[in-house]
Amino acid sequence: MDVSRHDIVIVGGGAAGLRAAIEAAEKNPSASIALVSKVYPMRSHTVSAEGGAAAIAREDDNVELHGYDTVKGSDFLADQDCIQYFVEQAPKELALLENWGCPFSRNEDGTVATRAFGGMTTKRTWYATDKIGFHMLHALFQHSMRFKNIVRYDEFFVSKLLIEDGSCRGVAALDIRTGEYSTILGRAVILTTGGGGKIFPFTTNGTIKTGDGMALAYRAGVPLKDMEFVQYHPTGLPGTGILITEATRGEGGYLRNSKGERFLVEYDYGVGKKAELGPRDMISRAIVQEIEAGRGFSGAYGDYVHLDLTHLGEDKINTRLPFVRELAKVYIGVDPVTTPIPVRPVVHYMMGGVDTNIHGATEMPGLYAAGETACVSINGANRLGSNSLTECLVFGAAAANHAIDFAKGSSEGNEASLRAQAEEEAGRVENLRGRKKGGERISEIRRELNSIMENACGVYREQSTLQAGVGATAQLRGRVADLRLEDESKVFNTELITALELTNMVEVAEVLAVSAAHRKESRGAHTCKDYTTRNDQDYLYHTMARHDPAGPRLGKKDVVLGKWVPEERKY
Amino acid sequence: MAGPAHPEAMAPPTPGRTRVAPPQMPVTWWSAKRIRTYLLFDATGVIYFLVAFVAIRLVDALGAGPEAWNAAMESLRNPVYIVFHLLSLACVIFVAVRFFRLFPKSQPPMIGPLKPPPGPVIHAMLYVVWLGITALMTAILAGVIL
Amino acid sequence: MADKTIIITRFDPDQDEKPRKQEYRIPCEDHWKVLDAVNFIKDEVDPTVSHRWSCRMAVCGSCGMMVNGEPKLTCKTTLSDYGDRVDIEPLANFPIIRDLVVELDGFMHKFESVKPWIIRAKERAEDKASRHPEKGTFIQSAEELGNYKQFSMCINCMLCYSACPVVANEPDFLGPAAIALGHRYNLDSRDEGTEERHDIFRGEGTVFSCSYANECSEVCPKNVDPAAAINQAKFGAVIDWAKGLVLPRGGTN
Repeated sequence: MDVSRHDIVIVGGGAAGLRAAIEAAEKNPSASIALVSKVYPMRSHTVSAEGGAAAIAREDDNVELHGYDTVKGSDFLADQDCIQYFVEQAPKELALLENWGCPFSRNEDGTVATRAFGGMTTKRTWYATDKIGFHMLHALFQHSMRFKNIVRYDEFFVSKLLIEDGSCRGVAALDIRTGEYSTILGRAVILTTGGGGKIFPFTTNGTIKTGDGMALAYRAGVPLKDMEFVQYHPTGLPGTGILITEATRGEGGYLRNSKGERFLVEYDYGVGKKAELGPRDMISRAIVQEIEAGRGFSGAYGDYVHLDLTHLGEDKINTRLPFVRELAKVYIGVDPVTTPIPVRPVVHYMMGGVDTNIHGATEMPGLYAAGETACVSINGANRLGSNSLTECLVFGAAAANHAIDFAKGSSEGNEASLRAQAEEEAGRVENLRGRKKGGERISEIRRELNSIMENACGVYREQSTLQAGVGATAQLRGRVADLRLEDESKVFNTELITALELTNMVEVAEVLAVSAAHRKESRGAHTCKDYTTRNDQDYLYHTMARHDPAGPRLGKKDVVLGKWVPEERKY
Repeated sequence: MAGPAHPEAMAPPTPGRTRVAPPQMPVTWWSAKRIRTYLLFDATGVIYFLVAFVAIRLVDALGAGPEAWNAAMESLRNPVYIVFHLLSLACVIFVAVRFFRLFPKSQPPMIGPLKPPPGPVIHAMLYVVWLGITALMTAILAGVIL
Repeated sequence: MADKTIIITRFDPDQDEKPRKQEYRIPCEDHWKVLDAVNFIKDEVDPTVSHRWSCRMAVCGSCGMMVNGEPKLTCKTTLSDYGDRVDIEPLANFPIIRDLVVELDGFMHKFESVKPWIIRAKERAEDKASRHPEKGTFIQSAEELGNYKQFSMCINCMLCYSACPVVANEPDFLGPAAIALGHRYNLDSRDEGTEERHDIFRGEGTVFSCSYANECSEVCPKNVDPAAAINQAKFGAVIDWAKGLVLPRGGTN
């Protein structure tokens, strides 16, 4: 088996992973940084982000405002010290990104332009027409190519963390091309694998978002935090779930029901004067309620409402929202210049993830996480749009800095014993390859998983379906151990990868369901019909879920409060 | 249907870790409508090649004395040669027109501090120069001027 | 809803001496893209088919394949545009790893060779990024942004490489996407590395092999127009060379 040694191993090549790699490579030119990704980095799902990235830019903005908006958006579950760090670092990070070539849209005077976004009191979302994720990812990836000490392992699937003496010392990765395992050792490992939206049937996420990093940490004994909080983006296309950016509303778009009313203005959904620019959880709930009240539209792919951009004019749409226009035409046959776009809430982001501190460090020495994979937490119970991309940059860099320092101080692991662990994993996965004696089909389990999550963990949840979901996901965990695989080949066996991803998805889903079932209140994106108010007395804490053979074991972690005292969340 | 492309096409700098099948390209690649113009464009090279031979023959005849020259001139009246020369004129015009049509796209967004003129203006300039020079050369060769 | 025959190229280097074709007759929904058909086959009919895909919204560039002999982004190509038989092959001009999966490292190498990053004069000797510029972000007007914006839209789907007759025949040719990307940086007002890249472009057959077939721009799903970039790059490289003759080492960008 191939064994390679590096100083830092980064799993996942999206915005957070690439930012971490660049930071580590720059800060320490003699260090060797491994960037291990199951796809080529330019395919990472960062690429599909559209709206923008938030950081203070204008004179009328300051860290207080950005911090307050974020805390309030999080329904006061976010850690305020982390938010303070985040809003301070954000402008520096985005300025660096601009220096590295990201083609931000500009004001008249040549400075970077900003647009309004949901839940933000002033314009602070830096944008690049409506393809920020694409431009950010490509700028980061291309910039990372300058560093010869970043060693890329493209299309390597990490299936196990290698741990020695309670410290994380590397990963066991399947080389997708050859079908052979590789031991990639490092003094620190940073997980930046994104979220796990594919456990839901309707999601903006691409097929690669299967919660791999979360599952890796979870199985290694590291707790997952706040997993019950799943963001439903209000405007996704029915059927495919393709993202229609919040920027459509930032540029002045309206949401209309079947009566043509701007229902966010007509009825009280808690968004006040912000209307379409309210936080995502409130708007998603509003849309679901409109549909339930009979004021939605019905279509081949379910019920939806209208996103009306017709009053913006062709010029504005072509300059500020060209990608949205293209998506609407290609994927739903609608030209937003003349016709409203059908939209419905779809799963978009996981606020929860691997529990880390402000430096991106988990409780396991040598193991870090950043980006959507991690829960620092700055997003709490609900994330504001355009904070996530900046989060990837800020905490990707933070984790890399801490990891580099840790790596300098740590000793080399025992190569022989780590390699033995990897070989054991290789053997386990080899048994899965072409496992024709299995009884469960991959696509069948995936469908069932999707259905369970849709029923149990939708925008509105109730205890009865949540408890059923807990039982059902536990059952799936047993069934996914008996998968049937047909493909016996070694070279580029994508069925095997899909099976490994499915196992990760089922574990993440179970943690999600158990966490959601236990939280008997409504906060942020977690809305429980049986407990409709926020209960700060009993539930102002982070849910911690630890791995246990009998099912996730729950615990609590204090929220770091600060100058912003929890108050009623009204806009 | 696919046929082989160059065996090294898009090859990685070091051989891949598994055996690969060689790169393929569709055998009917030449028949797509848009590529036929490009192939014709390149094929006109054959005509110029032949024109060169005709020119060599004429130069040779020139050196061999007035009789050989007159014989060569006489042979040029042969309809085959007339057709050939008309064809090569057509090729030159075709190549020039295609080149002019594509020329504006190769202009960078800025030339120093100036923006290049829009497409139709560039086209006009190219045709004026081309036809102007042709007219001038014809006039000189016909003895009308100089 | 209609049944179609989907023909997929299969190749397992451990089993097959060379690629072969396999046919699948499947029921196809009217709204399907070609990718949906391939995914259906993988999920329900034959899990041994290997292919790449991810975003399904035409922005990640993973799912490029030949559909009836033409390079297409399968997540964007409507299946009902095709008749009863749909022939899906791996991208032309690339070595084939497995089924519909092609070797990308050749492209990655060409891509990296054009130095696709912002080069600033100060660091050219040391090749080190300027981490803390004094003024924060660069000033760039909307017009300056417009100069290179189109060429920055490339999703690296490589359909242009499959369409290009020169890529098929000349291994040294950098190819449309790589040259367009290098040119994108040349045109970026924040970059100062044009001379360096033009040196690369003047290498043997790297850019001047382009015969302006324009196939690349025809197939590009993002309207990047790499043909324009390549020919602008040629123009620029020649001007640089001429300037170099007249003012060796003395000319500025």
